[in-house]
Amino acid sequence: MSDFLKKLSVRSPWLFRINAGSCNGCDVELATTAFIPRYDVERLGCRYCGSPRHADIVLITGPLTARVKDKVLRVWEEIPNPKITVAVGICAVTCGVFRDGYSIKGPIDRYLPVDVNVPGCPPRPQAIMEAVLIAKKLWMQKLGVEE
Amino acid sequence: MTDAILALLHMCIFPGGLFALAVGFFFKGLDRRMVARLQRRVGPPLHQPYIDIAKLLTKETLIPKTAHRTAFLLAPVIAFAGMAVCAAFIPVPGVFQGLTDMGDLLVIFYLLPIPAIALMLGGSSSGSPFGAVGFSREMLMMLAYEIPLLAVLLAVAMMAGKGMGTGAEFSLAKILTFQSATGQFGFNPVMIPALIAYLIFLPGTMGVIPFDIPEAETEILEGPLLEYGGPLLALYHIGSALKTFVVLGLGVVLFFPGTLTDIWIVNLVWFLLKCLLLMALSLTLVKSATGRFRIDQAFWFYIKIPTVLSLISLALVWWL
Amino acid sequence: MASFLKILLRNVLQGPSTDPFPAGETFTPPRLRGKVKLDPERCMGCRICYHTCSAGAINITQHQDGSGYDFTVWHNSCCLCANCRLYCPTKAITLTDNWHSAHEQTEKYTQVEQHFVPFVPCTTCGQPIRPLPADMAKRIYAHDPDVDPEIVRHLCPKCRLLEDAKKHMSPIVKAESASADKEKVADAAPKAATKAAPEKKTTKQT
Repeated sequence: MSDFLKKLSVRSPWLFRINAGSCNGCDVELATTAFIPRYDVERLGCRYCGSPRHADIVLITGPLTARVKDKVLRVWEEIPNPKITVAVGICAVTCGVFRDGYSIKGPIDRYLPVDVNVPGCPPRPQAIMEAVLIAKKLWMQKLGVEE
Repeated sequence: MTDAILALLHMCIFPGGLFALAVGFFFKGLDRRMVARLQRRVGPPLHQPYIDIAKLLTKETLIPKTAHRTAFLLAPVIAFAGMAVCAAFIPVPGVFQGLTDMGDLLVIFYLLPIPAIALMLGGSSSGSPFGAVGFSREMLMMLAYEIPLLAVLLAVAMMAGKGMGTGAEFSLAKILTFQSATGQFGFNPVMIPALIAYLIFLPGTMGVIPFDIPEAETEILEGPLLEYGGPLLALYHIGSALKTFVVLGLGVVLFFPGTLTDIWIVNLVWFLLKCLLLMALSLTLVKSATGRFRIDQAFWFYIKIPTVLSLISLALVWWL
Repeated sequence: MASFLKILLRNVLQGPSTDPFPAGETFTPPRLRGKVKLDPERCMGCRICYHTCSAGAINITQHQDGSGYDFTVWHNSCCLCANCRLYCPTKAITLTDNWHSAHEQTEKYTQVEQHFVPFVPCTTCGQPIRPLPADMAKRIYAHDPDVDPEIVRHLCPKCRLLEDAKKHMSPIVKAESASADKEKVADAAPKAATKAAPEKKTTKQT
């Protein structure tokens, strides 16, 4: 029974996005996946939720600036397990053009266990949807059920 | 004793409980699908709300340190319990005549705001500032949309009561028999303003766009629901699905309770179709084409339009 | 009120406009900037891409034994600005239309485009160099029927100057230099260089 629930649960990934000092380019691409009919991430069962407590997949954008670092880590802690962390855009993955900047504490995998990376500046909405699919696969593995 | 068991059965299985749950979630899935289609999207599968609940049950529950533990844990249970009881009072025309034949309209009126009150309780006890903001907004919304609801219910009760010579009739079963004898209220010109007021009341009480101000996810991070996650959130969603069934069913019973035949299954499907039409008109269509009101705009909107409409209906019933 | 109902009705009639993407195919715009790709045959190792890369994604390291250099692009750091493509003098760097960039964390450090670019000895003096791409040499020396681009492109810059200088010498000097030893040619090299330098510039400009 619980295996059945777990298998079902993967088909309803709720997304939560954290802006860790991003330029909003990646956030716009995330918004397009939800609101532009061409991409429509909702048909995968996804929903952008407003509260970290409801989230299953966390999409982090931005290079983790010094200002926002502690807040991002705190919000990330608020997300109930099992969760999948996705780094969206090269800033989140490697800090990209901001690497070694005086105000940059990233990349994010220095502090958080990132599961999926989507490089790109910004990545295409389709690439983000691919990342969600990979995240679903990893989520299955975390729950310990096979497809 | 048998009465009590029958009542419990009604509460758990047929109009309330499992049936209401299945119908509520089906309507929610259909609603999401229809909104998607109206916006040229594909939308989630119809069974998505069930999957969401299954998902929420597998997640862990976190209780914030600043929360009042008991109230925080009890609030979703109250929301669910209130609606589970309320759903049992909804009669299905031609199938089920209602749990009792006296005063159940009043009971429904008292039970309907329970999810909102539980939401306020949960929001204020979660210890989050967003929860407090959501609490105050929910309170204001409730003040605004309960007035038209009361006036609508009064108008219906007076209409039936005057026809039957009892002053005001608060039994849904009697209102049903009265309507089947004299014609449905939804086609009565006197009751049209009340019907419109009820249609406007629906999105407010269901907390959907444009009246999802207390749970605005972009402004106040879903307000009172902010700190809820996992099974507790699932309880809120279940309560909300039950409420969908209750308010739509109540609308159909009050205004369009006509039956097609004596076969109960046909009547049931006919009832659900009417519920669906009501939902498509008042929730889906509005949701897919509007943005969110500000709280003061929504408050004055409710005071100005549905309240006045329902009062017009009430006055017409009173004097005519 | 009526206008938005009309829009909704139109939307329902037209049906969804969603790409079937995760299940089916999607489109790729023709000039999409995807992953960086290097053609190691054309790369001269001039390092202009390394200097212009805004995100520091390109790295060029010489081999210890001088047999060549390693060219590396880390796609996870590349911001797809295409500065490298713009500035690459030999057009060795291109941007593909491959946007499938999502990958698991375990593959993070394998998302690279890496090439070992070997040096080739200069056909005259044997110094390790990168030969000019054939079509580029052909274009540069297009106006000059005396020069065989196939030969010139395998020469080191110094030998190329000498080759150029030989053409512009007077017949007498030519005869002298023909009779002279190889060492004498080496001595004359600086002189020839000063003479040939402006000449070389003009050829390049044209």
